[in-house]
Amino acid sequence: MTTIIPATSAPVLELEHLDRHRAGRPAVQDLSLTLPRGQILGLLGVNGAGKSTTLSMIAGALRPDRGSIKLNGQDFLEQPELARTWIGWLPERAPLWTELTVAEHLDAHGRLRGLRGAALREACTSIIERLELRPLARRLAGVLSQGQRQRLGLACALLHKPALLVLDEPANALDPVQVAALRTLIRGQAAAGTAVILSTHLLAEVTAICDRVAILHEGRLRHDGAVRAGDHAALEKTFFEIAMNPRPARAA
Amino acid sequence: MSALVVARLEWRRLLVRPLAWVLAAMTLAWLGWNFTLLLGSFLAGQIQRAALPDGPGFTDLVAVPLLGQLAQLAFLVVPLLTMSVLAGERRNGTLPLLFAAGVPASRIVLGKYLAILAWLLLWLLLTLSMPLALAHATHLDWGKLAAATLGLVLMLAALAALGVACSGFASHPAIAAAAALIVALALWSVNLGAQMAGINGGAINWLAMSTHVQPLLRGLVSSADVLWFVLLAALSLALATRRLATEMEHG
Repeated sequence: MTTIIPATSAPVLELEHLDRHRAGRPAVQDLSLTLPRGQILGLLGVNGAGKSTTLSMIAGALRPDRGSIKLNGQDFLEQPELARTWIGWLPERAPLWTELTVAEHLDAHGRLRGLRGAALREACTSIIERLELRPLARRLAGVLSQGQRQRLGLACALLHKPALLVLDEPANALDPVQVAALRTLIRGQAAAGTAVILSTHLLAEVTAICDRVAILHEGRLRHDGAVRAGDHAALEKTFFEIAMNPRPARAA
Repeated sequence: MSALVVARLEWRRLLVRPLAWVLAAMTLAWLGWNFTLLLGSFLAGQIQRAALPDGPGFTDLVAVPLLGQLAQLAFLVVPLLTMSVLAGERRNGTLPLLFAAGVPASRIVLGKYLAILAWLLLWLLLTLSMPLALAHATHLDWGKLAAATLGLVLMLAALAALGVACSGFASHPAIAAAAALIVALALWSVNLGAQMAGINGGAINWLAMSTHVQPLLRGLVSSADVLWFVLLAALSLALATRRLATEMEHG
């Protein structure tokens, strides 16, 4: 199976003026972003900044109140079925069907993403090997540790080789060895042309693997810029300036 | 196609959950025991009935009453079976996984409904196998049995749709089960007051499920009765779909 990336010069992801209210308050306001192929964008922000809401909208699990989302130049809100093949999503805390085994999860996700027959079997085998899930394949998801759940969630997101990978706190509950493996895997995906957007609380995560960082605060995009390798101090300064300053003028 | 994928997923989850097996085992054991009692009573009264030229037979005294007992059990079994289909997914946080896979709300609902319906039809088939096992040794009224079976199929289909709708609106599976049970019982007996007052027609009687099941169990198939069940199932599934679509829209 080949990676499903349509031949187009358009960015993989374009967000324009996204607004979304949750629980009666604005969770995301006037958010615009673009993400080209092969780029890793880190989404930073304090708790409640709107990161998970943004990622849920991008993944197709939640519709924005206003604004547009384009995938490879095509209107995603008009064609939500695009999510099936083009997007891989790992939600926060990796929700799973506890009564299914790891192998059954992969099978179910593959089918939901349109894979069948030999292609499905090949995709499942490949992702089981890549994420070292072989010893867990027959284990029920309900008895997995949090780190194992996270790996299974990641496997489900990567199974169908999406053009856009949406990861919400992917390093949650992983041990240092697994974090290193995750970083290698994400870089490998990006090198193969997959656009990656990941939210995290860890600034080190962003400086280690991201090409670009966007900082959300109170639902608004307050910073969008390149990440300079190893320049952790500069990113930390920017982040804390935004996080500690409740209502500054809108930034880049 | 995606409805079948959802149905397959739901079916798989049903088969590995202990609840479905426990319900099947306990209800079939109960029905088996009742079948034995009904059969014993039928055999005991055979000599007296031989004197009646048009007396009730095996179908009237064993097969249809057995199906009637299944209908009574369905009021409890169907809510327990359907309570988790949407409310459980919502509680586990797995519902957004289906949304994010681009599966429309209508197909999520339909897929889950089909899986539940398949289980219920299998349950009905196993119950039917008891009187059918004696078909070679007794005289079965096939027309009456077919009508009663159709009545049960329609009733199970309507109750399953009602259960799926309640699960779609509830935040917790237990609430969904309680709601489905209460709505189903209310639908069954909504005309009780009218019947006690001697009123046997009108809208209130039309609304009651019992009005439409009982003729079918007696072997009378009417398109109006069939339509009632189809309408109830369609309305319930439409409500569940609407609720799910709204959830996706508004979070």
